[in-house]
Amino acid sequence: MSDQTQLTSQMRDMVDKTIQRSIKGIDYVRSGSAAVGLTPKDVILEQGTMRLYHYEPMVEEVYRIPLLIVMATTNKGYLFDILPGQSMVEYLLKEGFDVFMLDWAPPVMQERGLGLEDYTQGFLPMCIEAVQETSGEADVNIIGYCQGGVLSLIYASTHPAGPLKNLVCLTTPIDMHQMGLFRLWSNEEYMDLDNMVDTLGIIPAEFISNSFEMLRPAQRSAGQMRLWDQLWNDDFVTNYRAFQRWGDETLPLPGEYHRDCTRELMWENKFFKGELKQRGNVANLKNVTIPLMAVMAEHDHIAPYEATKPLLDLVGSEDRQELVLKGGHVSLIAGPNAMRRMWPPVNAWLAERSV
Amino acid sequence: MADKPPSMQDFSELVTTWERQFNEFSNQVMGTDEFSRSINQWQKAQLEFQKNFSEAMAKQLANFNMPSRDDVITVSEQLREMDARLTRIEKMLSKASASPQGGAKKVGPKRTRKPPTKESGGGAA
Repeated sequence: MSDQTQLTSQMRDMVDKTIQRSIKGIDYVRSGSAAVGLTPKDVILEQGTMRLYHYEPMVEEVYRIPLLIVMATTNKGYLFDILPGQSMVEYLLKEGFDVFMLDWAPPVMQERGLGLEDYTQGFLPMCIEAVQETSGEADVNIIGYCQGGVLSLIYASTHPAGPLKNLVCLTTPIDMHQMGLFRLWSNEEYMDLDNMVDTLGIIPAEFISNSFEMLRPAQRSAGQMRLWDQLWNDDFVTNYRAFQRWGDETLPLPGEYHRDCTRELMWENKFFKGELKQRGNVANLKNVTIPLMAVMAEHDHIAPYEATKPLLDLVGSEDRQELVLKGGHVSLIAGPNAMRRMWPPVNAWLAERSV
Repeated sequence: MADKPPSMQDFSELVTTWERQFNEFSNQVMGTDEFSRSINQWQKAQLEFQKNFSEAMAKQLANFNMPSRDDVITVSEQLREMDARLTRIEKMLSKASASPQGGAKKVGPKRTRKPPTKESGGGAA
């Protein structure tokens, strides 16, 4: 192709995309929020901030052991069901799992007193019981994401007799002193934690989302520039809107839970040291002897690799597997890279342990 | 040879580079003890202001025999709780009325699935 023809072709392409951008830009501004979390499900348990979903099976024969996904407390669980065709929940259902999800709604002021123990020794056992009842099976498998992984590990280490059978931890921080900027910003010398919790009662969602955004301050603006560049591309826009909505719907946290997590997990690093006590039981990771898979992201800016790495050395499990993948905290779970890199090995690992 | 117009690929790379550099620079600035002390001091001052303002406002509203923000939140949360309870009761009633036995368990799929063998090549059913 001659230079002249190539130049003309490029110019035509640019003009075409500019027109498309203008037309689709209007649609974008006029459209409502993205439709997310569309896989059919029933809410089988609901108590204040806690929600337990049961997804409708998509195959006639499922694995014996039901699978419970435990979502991080700061965000909504539809990250695992972001869009049809890009949903990990849908993928697992099609692969033959009976899928449940422990998700969270914004806590109300009456729930300001909920502490870490209420999550690990209250909500989680309650959900596991409901999963057992609904499925008719005594054993349960868990996939825990980020703080959901921490809650699951605390539960597992305080309930060594079961019924938890297998555990997958996705980007789960264990050594909180390796939490980078989060650790620095919550320095106990400067942070007046008690004043904050006692004054606010509920830690606002903006406080949480601002902390996340401060780790990557240019991310939002760069995302908007990429959106403008790709406005002609329907697939890109659909994905952008879904992930943007998820990011914008960060959840507030009960003050007491925030206090416990900051003081006991972050400052005193008690879970990492094996010194965390939950309703009288010591949550020592050595008590976790069930098969365990730890999936970590190389470029995780929220739960850095250094914070997630020690897990397998601390648990008592003989059957344990580490999987370090390229990607970040969110792209590990959802999106095209997750579909290719993370979902198949997690499916294979769980499948052979779910009969 | 004529200069080529900047392509969209160039724009995308430019944004990525800018984003990376800006994030790195910001992390350097925010990754200091001084920054941590400053944001915590600022936050403390903001909380103090919020606390004092809320208390003063609550006193004024009480003088005028009007409910404070906390009172309104408490009432609205109680209403929400009652609403949730009613929904739960409604659900239980509709389940019970759907089955004369008081809600026989729905028969789910068989729980006999085996993982794909290497020979079968894996994949969903």
